[in-house]
Order: sequence, then structure tokens, then C-alpha cells
Amino acid sequence: MSDHTLHAEHAEHEDHGHHKESFISKYIFSMDHKMISRQFLITGIIMGTIGMLMSLIFRLQLAYPDMRFPFLEGIIGHWGKDGKLDPNFYLALITIHGTIMVFFVLTAGLSGTFSNLLIPLQCGARDMASPFLNMLSYWFFFMSSCVLLFSLFVKDGPASAGWTVYPPLSALPSAIPGSGMGMTLWLVSMILFIGSALLGGINYIATVLNMRTKGMKMTRLPLTIWAFLMTAVLGLLSFPVLLGGSLLLVFDRSFGTSFYLSEIVAEFAGGIERTGGSPILFQHLFWFLGHPEVYIILLPALGITSEVIATNSRKPIFGYRAMIASILAIAVLSFIVWGHHMFITGMNPFLGSVFMLGTLIIAVPSAVKTFNYLATLWRGNLKLTPAMMFAIGLVSFFISGGLTGIYLGNAALDINLHDTYFVVAHFHLVMGSAAIFGMMSGIYHWYPKLFGRMLNETAGQIHFWLTFISAYCVFFPMHFMGLAGVPRRYYANTAYDQFNVFVDMNQFITIAALIGGAAQLIFLINFFYSMFKGKRTVQNPWNSNTLEWTAPVEHYHGNWLGEIPHVYRWPYDYSKPGAERDFIPQNVPDEGQTDPMEEPHVAPVERREKAIPVEA
Amino acid sequence: MKIFNSLTKSAFLFSVILTFTLSLAAQTVDEGKALFSANCTSCHSMKDRIVGPALKDAHKRHDEAWMIKWIKNSQALIKSGDPVAVKLLADYNGSVMTAFENLSDVQIKSVIAYIKAESENPTADKASTETKTAGVAPDSNLVTRINWLLIIISILLIWVISLVFSILSLISDIQGKPVINWNFLNSKFSLVFFVVGMIAVIWEFYVHGPLTVFNEGPASAHGINYDNMFMITLILTGIVFVITQALLFWYGYKYKSDGKRKALYYPDNHKIEFWWTIIPAVVLTILVIKGLITWTEMTTHSSLEARRVEVFGYQFNWATRYAGADNKLGNHDFRQVGKINLLGVDTNDSKAYDDIIVSNELHFEVNTPVILAFRAKDVIHSAYMPHFRVQMNVVPGLPTYFAFTPTVTTREMRIKMKKPGFDYILLCNKICGAAHYNMKMKVVVETKSEYESYLKSQTPLVASKITNSPKAVALK
Repeated sequence: MSDHTLHAEHAEHEDHGHHKESFISKYIFSMDHKMISRQFLITGIIMGTIGMLMSLIFRLQLAYPDMRFPFLEGIIGHWGKDGKLDPNFYLALITIHGTIMVFFVLTAGLSGTFSNLLIPLQCGARDMASPFLNMLSYWFFFMSSCVLLFSLFVKDGPASAGWTVYPPLSALPSAIPGSGMGMTLWLVSMILFIGSALLGGINYIATVLNMRTKGMKMTRLPLTIWAFLMTAVLGLLSFPVLLGGSLLLVFDRSFGTSFYLSEIVAEFAGGIERTGGSPILFQHLFWFLGHPEVYIILLPALGITSEVIATNSRKPIFGYRAMIASILAIAVLSFIVWGHHMFITGMNPFLGSVFMLGTLIIAVPSAVKTFNYLATLWRGNLKLTPAMMFAIGLVSFFISGGLTGIYLGNAALDINLHDTYFVVAHFHLVMGSAAIFGMMSGIYHWYPKLFGRMLNETAGQIHFWLTFISAYCVFFPMHFMGLAGVPRRYYANTAYDQFNVFVDMNQFITIAALIGGAAQLIFLINFFYSMFKGKRTVQNPWNSNTLEWTAPVEHYHGNWLGEIPHVYRWPYDYSKPGAERDFIPQNVPDEGQTDPMEEPHVAPVERREKAIPVEA
Repeated sequence: MKIFNSLTKSAFLFSVILTFTLSLAAQTVDEGKALFSANCTSCHSMKDRIVGPALKDAHKRHDEAWMIKWIKNSQALIKSGDPVAVKLLADYNGSVMTAFENLSDVQIKSVIAYIKAESENPTADKASTETKTAGVAPDSNLVTRINWLLIIISILLIWVISLVFSILSLISDIQGKPVINWNFLNSKFSLVFFVVGMIAVIWEFYVHGPLTVFNEGPASAHGINYDNMFMITLILTGIVFVITQALLFWYGYKYKSDGKRKALYYPDNHKIEFWWTIIPAVVLTILVIKGLITWTEMTTHSSLEARRVEVFGYQFNWATRYAGADNKLGNHDFRQVGKINLLGVDTNDSKAYDDIIVSNELHFEVNTPVILAFRAKDVIHSAYMPHFRVQMNVVPGLPTYFAFTPTVTTREMRIKMKKPGFDYILLCNKICGAAHYNMKMKVVVETKSEYESYLKSQTPLVASKITNSPKAVALK
């Protein structure tokens, strides 16, 4: 590549000392946010593929509990003796599937990719506040992924106590084989992961607060950046609590303490009587992260959706300030609702009432966001690109999954729904599918920015429809299983007459899941093929307003060749009356507006319609 | 003559002894069967490997003394370096077998006798082979072939799809415009998806709705409030669901770009935003208030006349303890959990003497309030009784309870559901180990007289009247 000339050019404009980039400094230990973003994305996609394949294996077991699958022995060895999945390994699969999807794909893969890519580019910064910490953040994540994958190969199997790893099950190897070496590795992996999340989060916050270009007021930030900022704040405040919780679990497991153990007889706890702690303490610490974590996953997806829907509707996002307010409200409220995961732990019922109140209040800002998306679509000029379709899909999942949250957030209703398939359906729709769709939407929208090439549109559209339909086919019927009282994390339901009626449904779900899995193959081929052979992109393929599209298609360390563009307006001047084209990028000077600094947009439509004839 | 006489005598004696031993053997087999179904079925079946090995012919694989040692405490046997034990653990991927130190040698022998009888039982074997051929497990060879076929088909499919894509992109390159107008197609698909999706949702409610526990109604007093709360939430969220999804897909259909129109510049409307913040807030306030009332009603109770029953969870089974005549459960002490005293009942507490412990079955008296106390031995379990709308975590070291009143007897429920074989169940609903999915207990709701005669048929901890000296406890 004409690396040298680019750098010479670059050096002309910047006082940046130019250094020769080797393969290692460019592709591996890169400190460039765009490269780190690609590293996060590709690692996330690989982890996501592994997590998805795991889910397919246990879906086969759930649909055909009596059938034997000889190929299993080839994949998982002695865990699939005679083609039959071992019950211990079933639990290991659901545990690692959950861990991978929640942390490695939807936290690091989503927020890591798009915060890294978009924060400097949309704020107008040359790079992150600390490129070195940024690089460390990726490598901590990478090590963490490696440790987790390595734990799949230890003798007694990986962690198997569910992704929430409640002690004593996770603390005592005599309770389940996976709580031996596998659990230790899980904790090591998680501690590394928290390191990564914290390093990344500090960087994101510092960059957004300090490194915005001239004219980029907080009220002119795209909603993506607002979402990433609040995500990072949530992570920074809640991940340390999980770190503390995990360390205490390490102590309990390895050093004989009893923070989480109470009244455990000596024979069961390796010869020493363990008492004095509380198993519920771990749940409090875990969910103090765990609930904000849901929003750490969801907010970036909602931010991406805001941007994609506005751009492809060719309309300003409706209620920009309300959108920011609801992001803030969700972020604040997410810290006081963790107890809704623990209504039936024997917690004081009054405490349950408090958590219930907080939980149901969150529905208000969530509803506002949904209505604002609908209002943005209303009378738009919709360009139904794959990114836009995934964004619409997100809104649909967000509604379906969000509404069932009103059941589960209600302490009274939770009694009969807790830990059933109703919960599985709820969170797979609202945080699983919705966030994955946000991530996909982001990938389709910013692929040209990431790789300088376009993804194949037809493949993208087919990918969308197959995924969308199969996700609904997988998760919607699960609500009914939950309402019939089928518990989650059951290896088989064959012992129960009442649940045997769902055999057909389980098979239907598994077939839908297999189709959904095959659809991801189309995406993977499209993704990796287009990276090298895709159509080259123009600078601003979606006619978007935000700053990243003012940067050249080729990647330079420093993002813009010349001066960083100044910002004169908010990012949502789409289809503005009087403008020549249907978009006005943020760096276009604003002449007509009275006080652009104070008003992010012109007055509402009625007032404007009255005002126009007067001017004319 | 004399010899003949003595022969008949001895023959008679022999036959007496034979019938006696035979009947004794039958008795042990029956006892073994009861013990087997109460303690072993969570992890073992006769013919299939599940969590643990299939137990058919287990008595041929190991001698009795070894089996007794293994069943009582497999960990100790493994630690002693017994090669068979070590290999067994490795073969079953490190799954530790629960220690059954509470079972006596005689009891374990009767379990082994049951296994022996069952292994030699030709009808059971025949039945199992019949289900195998007629049932769901097909020829494994066929499955392998189907698997390979599927893999080949999917590879071909991917190849064909990618071929089609490359041809399409070639055509679009030549023509200079996209071949498929996705904008047009997606807007149509969006409408079709909504219509078909809504039909599917209605179909789901129609077909799978009757399978839920809401169909037959609650079997407890608070369950009526629960179901009301549920239905209110269902109706309100249902309305929101239909309206918002309809708007979403309708807009997706209606406002697709046609290349001529320009979007409406409409960034804000404070009036609308005010209303759509207030209306959800009001609706949620209603739900919150109603929910709080329901929750408070469920969690407060008068404890005076309620019966006290304890449910004890351990890997992978349940035990129950009834308070007995004094309606007071004796204290417990985890340090006393062990060989005979599985539940760790405090042997120094005289309130415990009339307590009745039953394994794997839970009985309630209809229309009588009951306070269910929960304790766990090892890890967190959760006692879940969906028909009663009851669930509570069972946490080691943290006693919990749930008070409620069952209102429908098992018999009435069988008639109501038109299922003569129906039984209420208590499930474990918190992941607790490999056999979590089999950790269940039958629940029976019966009339006062049935309940009382059931309890009378069980033996209390101390069968005789309480003696003055607490040392003379039969538990020891």
C-alpha cells in the first residue's frame, strides 16, 4: 500500500511525528481506534459464532431428548458419549453460551466496536484520549476470550452453574464438576474482561467529554455518542462491583473463606464446615452489575438505531432532547432495580415493593423512546437498507420483549414466572435479539467506514428476513411454555406429563433456530468476502450528516487529513425545508438559523409554517 | 418308614422356610422399589445412561459390599484409591454421586435386590425394547446419514446462493442499477409480516394458551388475585403490543421512499411528547398500585392457625417435615446433618419429637392455611409449584417461607382437567446440578380426614411418648 506517501501527506498537515508502521504495530498491537474497533468486531463475531453453535447443540437436546446424534461425539468427545449430550455438559453449554453472548458479544463486541469507531469520528477527534489504554483494553478482552475458550477443554468441563454463577453451586466443586478448574478459569476470564471494560470505559468518557471538535456542544452530539457515553458511565460504576463480587468468590473457592457460604456441612465442602456468609450477598453484588449490564448492552444498540432510523428516514430524530433525557433516565434508574432479579430469594417483601416500583418506572422512558422512533418513521422517506431493516427489527423486538418486562418486574407476577421459559423468552427478545439487531444494523451501516467497501445488499436483506422471522419463531412460543410452568435450564422435560405436550413446540423452535443459524452463515460469508472483494464505497454512501462521513474512505492515523471539521449544527438536519439536498452535514456552516447554539433545530412545524409566509 | 417320615418332615420344613424367604425377598424388593424411586431416579434409570449409569445388571458388575460402600459415600471410596471407583468417576465426567449415609445396610441391600429383580424381569426388558423400536430413537446409522445429507445440502445451498448473488451483482453492474428493488419489496414484506405475524400470535393463544396453568385456574386462595393481576397486565400490554407493532410495520409499508417525495421535517412536538409520557406513566401507576396490593396480600399472613410444614431440598431430591401434634417444627442444626439425620433436626429440641419426616411427597389439607418453611442442605434450590402460584428459593443457611392456602384437592383438579392421572408437582427451579431437571416431588391436596389419616400412617421421629430424658432420642 502507499503507506509511506500517505504518511508524508499526513505529516504535512499535522505536527505528528511520522513513524514507520510495521505489520505488528498496524494490525496487531495497533493504537489506532479504527483498527481496535475492527479487532473488537471480528473477535466479537468469532465469539458470537461459537456461542450460537453452542445454543444449537443444546437446542437439539431439548427438541430430541431421546435421539442420539453420533456427530456430537466428534465435536465434544466424551461429553457426547454414544451421541448423547451429558447433563453436566448441557449445563456447561448454557453457562458458556450466556457468558459469551452477554459479555463477549453484546458488551465488548457491540460497545467495544462502535464506541471505538464512532466516538472519535463522530465527536471530531484524532483518536481516543489514550490510544495506549485503548489497545490494552482490546488485549485484556482478547486474553479474557482465550481463557474462556480454553476452559472448554479442561477435564471436568467449563463453568456450569449458569451464567449468573450463583454460589454455593459455583463455589463447591463437589456440587457440580464444572465448579472445579472450569469455574476458576471463568473467574479469571471475567476479571480480565472487567479490566478491559474499565479501561475502555474510562477512555470513552474522557474522549467524549474532552475531545469534541469546535462547535460540537453536548446538545449537538449524535444520539449514538450519548448512548455510548452513558454506557461507559454505567460500566464504570457497576463493573467494579462485579470485580469485588468475583474476587470474594475466588477467596471462597480457593482460600477457604465463607463470604457466600452458610451452613454447609463439612463433607460437602471439602472437609471444612463453611458457615457465616450469605449466598444471597453474591446475588446482590452480581445483579448490581447485572442489571445495569442489560442497559450496557441495550443503550448502544438503541443509539445506533436512532442514528440509522434518522438517516434512512431522511428525517430528524423526533424529540432529540427527550431521547437524551430518556437515555439519562434509563441509566439512573438501572442502578436501583437490581432486586427485581431476586423477588423470590426470601428478600423482605417491602424491599420487593421498592424494586418493583423502580422497575416499572423504567418502562416510561422506554415507551418514550419507542414512540419517538415511531414518530421519526412517520411521514419519512424510508430507505429500507439492511441497516434500516435491522433497526426496525430492533424496535419490534424492543416492544415485544419490553412489554413482557412489565410482567416480570411485577413482584407478584414474578412468583410464578421466575426462572421459567417466560423469562428466557423475555430477555432473549429484549436484550438478546434487540441488541444483536442493533449490532447488525451498525455493522451494515458503518461497514463502509470500517472496511472501505460495501456489503452485498441482497445478501443483507435475506440475512435480515431469515434472522427476523426465525428469532420470532424461536422466542415467541417460549412465552407459552413459561406460562405452563416449564423451568429454564432443564436438560429434558420428559419426566413431566404436563410438559411433554410441548415436544412439538420444542422441535419447531429448534428447527427455527437451525434456520436462523444458517442465516448467520450468509452474513459471515458476506462479511468476510466483502472485506476483500466488496464494491468500493464512496465517502458518504448513506448521505448522512454526522462527522465520520466527512473523513476520507482510506484510514489515516488521525482520521482527517487536514484540519478537523468544525461543527455548526445538530446532526439531524435531514429534509430541511429550503435546503438544496435532503441532508446538511454537521460541518456545513449555518447561516439562516437565529441562535444555532441554543436551538438544536428550528421551531416545531406549526410555528414554522406560520413563520414562513411572513418571511416570504 | 422312619426315613420317609423324616423326609416329609424336612420337606415340610423346607417348604415353610422357602415360602418365608420368598415372601421376605418380595418384601425387600418392594421396599427396594420404594427406596429406589425416592432416592435414585433423579440420576439413574434402569436401561439408559442419564446423569449416572444405567443400573441394569449393576449387581453383576460390582459385588454387594462394594456397592454398599459406594452408595454410602462414593467420595470416600474414590479417595481411598479404589480403581473401580476412580474409573467410574472419570467415565461419568466427574459427576459426584450423592452420599446416602442415611440409608442402612439393610435398606441398600433391598435396593440392590430391587435392581436384581428388575434386571431379570423379562417383561420390563421387553417393554423397553418395544418402546425403543416404536418410539423416537431411530437407527443411529440413519441419523448419521441424514446428518451428512443435511451438511452436503447446506453446503450446496450456500454455493448456489453465492452463485446467484454474483450473477445478480454482475447484472446490476452492467445495467448500472440494482436488479432487485429492495425498497419496494421490503415495504410489502413488512405489511405481510405484520399480518401473518398477528395471525400466528392469535393461533398461538388459541392452541398453546389452553396448555398454560391459567387454563384450569389457580389451586390456591391467593392465586385468584394472581390471575386477575396477570389478566389485567395481559390486556393492557396486549393493546400496546398490537398498536405499536401495527404502526411500526404500517409506517414501514406506507412511507417507503419512492424517489419523488421528501420527508417531513418534524423534529419536535412538546404537546405530543408530554402526552405520551404521561399516559404510559398513568397506566404504569395503575399497574404498580394493583401490583403492590397483590404483592402485599400475598406476602402478609396471619400465622396463628396455619399448619407448619417444612420442605427440605438437597441434591437431587426433596423431603418434607410435618410439625406433628404440637404444630411446631423442631429446631434444626446443620452440624447434625449426617448419617441418619438427613434434615439436621435438632435432637435436643423436644418440639422435634413429634415431627414427621417423609421423603419425596408433600401433602396439604384443602382450605387450610399452611406456612411452608424451606431449607436446603447444599446449594440453592427453588421450590416451584406452578398450579398454586407458589415459588420460593430454598437457600442453605437462610430459612425462607411461603404462606398460602390450597383450595382445590387433587381429585377435584383431576376432574376439572379431565386428566385422571394428574398430580400437582413441586419442581426445583434454580439450577442445582446435573440432575436438576429431575428434582421433583409429588404434591397431594386432600380433605381433612384423608390428610389426618395420611399423617397417622406415618411414624413420628420418636414413636413413643416423649420421655423425660432427651438423651433417649430414637434418632441416635
